[in-house]
Amino acid sequence: MSAITPSMTQSIGKNPAAKADERIRRISPWRALLNRPEFGSIAGTVLIFILFGVFAGDSGMFNLDGVMNWSTVAAYLGIIAVGACVLMIAGEFDLSIGSMIGFAGMMMAVPSMFLGWPMWASMLFAFAGCMALGWLNGYLVVRTKLPSFIVTLAFMFILRGLTLVLSTHFSNSTIVSGVGDKLSADPVVHTLFQGTTLHGLFGWLGNIGLIEKLPNGEPVVGGLPKVLLWWLGVAVVAGFILSRTRFGNWIFMVGGDSNAAQNVGVPVRRVKISLFVFTAFCACLFGVLQVADVGSAAADRGLQKEFEAIIAAVIGGALLTGGYGSVLGACFGALIFGVVQIGISYTNFDSDWYRVFLGGMLLLAVLFNHYIRSRATTGK
Amino acid sequence: MTTETKDDYILQLENISKYFGTVISLQDVTLRLRRGEVHCLLGDNGAGKSTLIKTLAGVHKPNKGRYLVEGEEVNFTSPREALDKGIATVYQDLALVPLMSVARNFFAGREPMKKLFGVIPVMDINHAASVAEEKLGEMGIHVRSPHQPVGTMSGGERQCLAIARAIHFGAKVLILDEPTAALGVKQSCNVLKLIHKARERGISVIFITHNVHHAYPIGDSFTLLNRGQSMGTFAKESISKEEVLDMMAGGTEIQSLFNELEGRAAA
Amino acid sequence: MRVRKISLWLATLMAGAMALPAASIAADGPHANERYVLISHAPDSDSWWNTIKNSIKQAGEDFGVQVDYRNPPNGDLADMARLLEQAAARNYNGVAFDIADYDVLSKPAMRITAKGIPVVTLNSGTDQESKKLGAILHIGQPEYDAGKAAGERAKAAGVKSFVCVNHYATNVASLQRCKGFGDAIGVDYRGSMIDTGVDPTVVASKVSAYLRSHPDTGAVLALGPNSAEPTIQVLERMGKAGKLYFGTFDLSPAIIDAVKKGELNFAIDQQPYLQGYMSVAAAVIAYEDKTKDPAAIIAKLKANPKFQQRLKTYGLEPIYTADGVRSGPAFVTKDNVATVEKYAGQYR
Repeated sequence: MSAITPSMTQSIGKNPAAKADERIRRISPWRALLNRPEFGSIAGTVLIFILFGVFAGDSGMFNLDGVMNWSTVAAYLGIIAVGACVLMIAGEFDLSIGSMIGFAGMMMAVPSMFLGWPMWASMLFAFAGCMALGWLNGYLVVRTKLPSFIVTLAFMFILRGLTLVLSTHFSNSTIVSGVGDKLSADPVVHTLFQGTTLHGLFGWLGNIGLIEKLPNGEPVVGGLPKVLLWWLGVAVVAGFILSRTRFGNWIFMVGGDSNAAQNVGVPVRRVKISLFVFTAFCACLFGVLQVADVGSAAADRGLQKEFEAIIAAVIGGALLTGGYGSVLGACFGALIFGVVQIGISYTNFDSDWYRVFLGGMLLLAVLFNHYIRSRATTGK
Repeated sequence: MTTETKDDYILQLENISKYFGTVISLQDVTLRLRRGEVHCLLGDNGAGKSTLIKTLAGVHKPNKGRYLVEGEEVNFTSPREALDKGIATVYQDLALVPLMSVARNFFAGREPMKKLFGVIPVMDINHAASVAEEKLGEMGIHVRSPHQPVGTMSGGERQCLAIARAIHFGAKVLILDEPTAALGVKQSCNVLKLIHKARERGISVIFITHNVHHAYPIGDSFTLLNRGQSMGTFAKESISKEEVLDMMAGGTEIQSLFNELEGRAAA
Repeated sequence: MRVRKISLWLATLMAGAMALPAASIAADGPHANERYVLISHAPDSDSWWNTIKNSIKQAGEDFGVQVDYRNPPNGDLADMARLLEQAAARNYNGVAFDIADYDVLSKPAMRITAKGIPVVTLNSGTDQESKKLGAILHIGQPEYDAGKAAGERAKAAGVKSFVCVNHYATNVASLQRCKGFGDAIGVDYRGSMIDTGVDPTVVASKVSAYLRSHPDTGAVLALGPNSAEPTIQVLERMGKAGKLYFGTFDLSPAIIDAVKKGELNFAIDQQPYLQGYMSVAAAVIAYEDKTKDPAAIIAKLKANPKFQQRLKTYGLEPIYTADGVRSGPAFVTKDNVATVEKYAGQYR
């Protein structure tokens, strides 16, 4: 249809017949790996494991039950880190995650313990309530155009307060106990959220001697904690959506330049609100899993977890300003965090140094990440 | 409405006025665009060019006057509707996300889909990449790799990418908001060449600028805006570059400044 | 480039720091390879546990073993559960911990006992809970009884109402203290308790607010230095110091000072040193002698000369019972404060 005259073409660009542009170098697979946003966090994880391997190698940290120990911590954090990461890529923050964890636990505990609801109904109530709150967060942010930082900060206080109010009103203390037993009795909730699974496999591995046994004959680790499976599930689904689907493309656009996204017809509001609902889901999942694990709901659960989630996402390569990041990276970020948090106890370090050490490790991981990424984008 | 008018003009703004509170941004502006015509909208800063584009793009609704597309009156309530009618606007910020790849940017909002395992709807990245590379090549833009982030492209390349995208997705009218404003000489030339290609494809272009030296070579006709009002529409044949410059720069003001400076020097 | 340099420096620093010898006591002797741990529920900011940290260091020295101290930094009991699991994974020779919440900690604690590792409990929790967990011994101060004993003293002084200043209300044991006191004077503790948290400014403002709105309050009971110290200041500012019946649990330099000045009627010393030292010592003896018999363990400990020396130095008196030992309550008043004063906050 276009009458492209030869003179025009030559003066504009190169000869269209030359397919291989000499400005593309053949880059090695290694370099291609370096360019990925996750690389920094993967490298950081390897570094951390090496460090702990050297200094805590014989402490039981890398025995099966030690591995279960820190991977459980990583799994919990990983669930909310995935949520925080995806939201951060869209350019928003949710500071109410931590409070929502406590609130979710209370939303599940109070109806079942004091109002006579069946456990599965309380569980659904908790999820529905949290996701509705997530929707409200998102709605307020897109409507008022206030920074999400502020809106969710307000909810951080509101939810923490409500959790305490609910707890003291119904149980006269800041903790609601006995939930665990009720939960075990409910087949739906128990199967979904409580305890471990794959007992047969672990029992068999114990019998053939691959797993150590306790004095009473049981394998030292009876099964795979369900929280690990939930982490895997959430991460796979979120990662798939982000990188392979149209919605994922929209998320990147909204975070990269929301005006531009609006102009090309991306439903910016819908995208942002859905992501706030997703982070609320993740927070509720954390809360419910924790109640199932620990057996009670308390007013101080999830304290400061929102910052940990954000840190894990940033370690994983997500930009604080939005538009860039990866779910896989956030998972590695959570892993680093979990390993460091628990791993310090396996070393001979005085526990007073824990926070100093944790902060130092995180700074190191982030710097490393930044260094790798700047090398990748400026293309050495 | 005679058939002649309908065929002649693809887009018309008839006596458009736009107010923002007590501020009159546009007053009685008339603009008529033929098919396959490059129409330059000139005016100094504050003349009302932005408001006019946004009205054309469907962002603002005019308070008075009529907006016709292909002879039929339209009432856009969102930019999406204007886009659906084939009126594509390339803003100064280009609507490109620097951190994302060329392919993803090219298909942003209109991603090609395929079904994984026949069930799950996913984005067809490979298709997007090859099509983006091919279409851009047709426009004379050669990207190093369709997966490279747009941020690694020069300003001129990005401008061309934005325009090529609009053309590919079936724009009948291309509205370009100061495309050469931040570009150097060579890059500006590339953009102007691309506009020429668009015209050859039968696409009408409204080219907004305050740079007459860029507008004059490529334009078929010119409308000058001054303080919200149209100072007239001129075909290229009937006006010279200097005359345009004069009208735009507010010739009288420059002249009196010149006189004052001369007077000073003499004193 | 600067980023690279900073990263390298930081990495070397951290690796070097990790290579430093352990902050736990360097031990030598035949038992130097043994490793024990004490896990508490207290957040880093809870000053009361300093004494226990110090006492377990000394226990380590006396018995020639390594002892670690672990706690959840924010006081989150879910984190404490993780630490117990970690203790099991690490295969310590013995574990001591406080039963901050039986429901939360029972499963992880069973992991430890399932491995055959000797467990001793201290401080929070009841003797029954301790037995249910499979612990060998419980060394603490029964919270309810201590509160009750304090309440009885107050009753004798004519007190009819009180406010319980609770700085760690998430720990169910704290409620027992208030309840004991309340029951002794015949008042429902639930209406008389304020949950202040550990931030001193918050404690002070909540206490003064309560006393202003309840001017007829007969007594104040604080549950530890975190709640007592700001309260002392509040009472001084309100001019009620020495006039309002005021008692607290536990000791600290500021508390001792107030006892001396007559601003505090009593301080209940649960002798944390004993809780820390004896629980670790009991675990060591249980492991080394391969015994689970509490009476035998206590007998052996009693006979240990180094232990007796420590008791004499710090003026401590364990309360031995038929099959166990209690660390308190010991009432510190103006009359016997001098002996305590020397080591307050560190060993008393």
